[in-house]
Amino acid sequence: MTADRVLGLVLIAFAALALWSAQSLVVAFAADPLGPRAFPSTVALIMGGCGAMLLIPRGAGFAWPERMASPPLLIVVMAGYALLLVPLGFLVATVLLASAVALLFGARPLPALLTGIITSAALWALFDRLLDLPLPQGVIQGFFGA
Amino acid sequence: MMETFAALGGGFAVALQPQNMMLAFLGCIIGTAIGVLPGIGPLNAIALLLPFCLALRLPPESALILLAAVYYGSGYGGRITAILLNMPGEPSAVLTTLDGHPLAKQGRGGAALAISGIGSFVGATISVVLMTFLSVPLARVAVAFSPADYVALIAFALSLLGAVGGGSAPKAWAAGCLGILLAMVGIDSGTGVERFTGGSMELLGGLDFTVLAIGLFAIGEILLLIETRIRAQAAKIGGGQRLAFREIVFCIPAMFRATGIGFVIGVLPGAGASVASALSYTAEKRINESNGKFGQGDMRGVAAPETADNAAQIGNLVPMLSLGIPGSGTTAVLLGALLMYNITPGPLLFEQRPDVAWGLIASMYIGNCMLLLLNLPLVGVFARLLTVPAWVLYPGVLALSFAGVYAASNSAFDLLLAIGFGVMGWLFRKLDVPLVPIVLGFVLGRMLEDNLRRAMSLSDGDVMALLGSPVSILLWVMTAAAILWPLLPRRRP
Repeated sequence: MTADRVLGLVLIAFAALALWSAQSLVVAFAADPLGPRAFPSTVALIMGGCGAMLLIPRGAGFAWPERMASPPLLIVVMAGYALLLVPLGFLVATVLLASAVALLFGARPLPALLTGIITSAALWALFDRLLDLPLPQGVIQGFFGA
Repeated sequence: MMETFAALGGGFAVALQPQNMMLAFLGCIIGTAIGVLPGIGPLNAIALLLPFCLALRLPPESALILLAAVYYGSGYGGRITAILLNMPGEPSAVLTTLDGHPLAKQGRGGAALAISGIGSFVGATISVVLMTFLSVPLARVAVAFSPADYVALIAFALSLLGAVGGGSAPKAWAAGCLGILLAMVGIDSGTGVERFTGGSMELLGGLDFTVLAIGLFAIGEILLLIETRIRAQAAKIGGGQRLAFREIVFCIPAMFRATGIGFVIGVLPGAGASVASALSYTAEKRINESNGKFGQGDMRGVAAPETADNAAQIGNLVPMLSLGIPGSGTTAVLLGALLMYNITPGPLLFEQRPDVAWGLIASMYIGNCMLLLLNLPLVGVFARLLTVPAWVLYPGVLALSFAGVYAASNSAFDLLLAIGFGVMGWLFRKLDVPLVPIVLGFVLGRMLEDNLRRAMSLSDGDVMALLGSPVSILLWVMTAAAILWPLLPRRRP
């Protein structure tokens, strides 16, 4: 089972899902001859066909990461950031994010923390103060005035 | 002819406004900087800047001037990394390493940087002149296109993705289809039906273009970068002999040829700057077989690919502006930016929004002069960017991506979506699935369906109407050729 075949199967599965989902689209009155269904169905069929073509030839193996743990850890860190941004506020959440990412890129703890603090403060100054684009304040609400 | 000059004059009136001059200058600096840094290209930089433009309510012409300056500025930056590090800052600068790095090792890095900067300027400026005179005639031809012709044109542009991508054609097409399907998420504008939302309220309005682009390209790239330790040692610019005037003269014929190759390749949809720089390098090597020392540090080997690279970048903008069909990933992002401003590039753009179209063209004359002035004396400053460690740079890029997505939508849901697209982009890159077709499909998908719908309404649902004009028949034949060509079995060398 090469990586290409797995990809082909995934594409076929996704195309089938899209096709199935598209069949449930109905409009009560036919305002235009194309309707909402024909175009997505066609595109999904083409994508499934491309997926089927990938099943035929042999492909190269999947290139496993040099540092296996890093990408999944980064995904966890990013997802955590997305969930905590509003409750914690931009400043706190971004210090945590940038420090963690710096650690994952191989920084030592103290420089990583410094990177996190500077990144967070610089971006907050840029967005919130200079460009006047409000970011969530979270736990330090009111700390810097309105 | 006269009306072109008058229109260009109007464009300069827009481009010379202080705010627009500042934005062009800012774009040139950002463009050169991201060209230098490996892992950040014009595509993700523009995707990152787009939320700023929208949130700051920049007028569309100003936003386009800024974003386009980042785009063509990146063509100046890629060479710096290629020459000093033997590592291209952009994919299109691969060929520059072949002669550029040997020159740097001989202590003539400064001279190689100078000639490539001059080449970039020559290629870009001549191409802007060509664009000035070609865009409107091309747009006039396209005004006569019926919706059915447009369906065929978009199908042709999408089918070309498989033929010129260099990788596996089915993967490129599948990625294009995926992009089209992603564009359909949300309420269908034609019928008012909800599609592919899975009942989610957040998805009713459709996927945001910036979320897709930042996710696929910025977040996906960081996931890819974090896998491997980055080991790079910057070479010194070198105190060797400076670039002599006769060396510039020596390279002029090569620059002109490279401009021609680059511009033509750039105008064709699908083929981009990488193809153009490779072709022009090979051409120079063939032409100068007798007197060249290509591969060991020939000035023309640096000048030609860099000239072609910048010429192709500008050429890529021509179909985007006059036909509304982007030919590359980055121009697709620029088109997406215009669409977010409710401006549809295409044949009518030059008549309806001359301030946008001509303001952009005029700003490119100014921007390229700025870039030349920036790049000749300040090349050392940009080269110093390479000493910034990855663990300072990429956390900042990631935090900037998230802040940009959040500022544009004020929704944490969009952050999760962007992360999801980032994981997708990372896995696709590892599986050799090209990402550019996804963006092209996303941008072109809506246009394709709209035009198909219009064509079907006009013909009352008769599918044969799609083959109703000579133009559409020609384009469908070309589409069929572009689909069959990569599928033909061929002898492997």
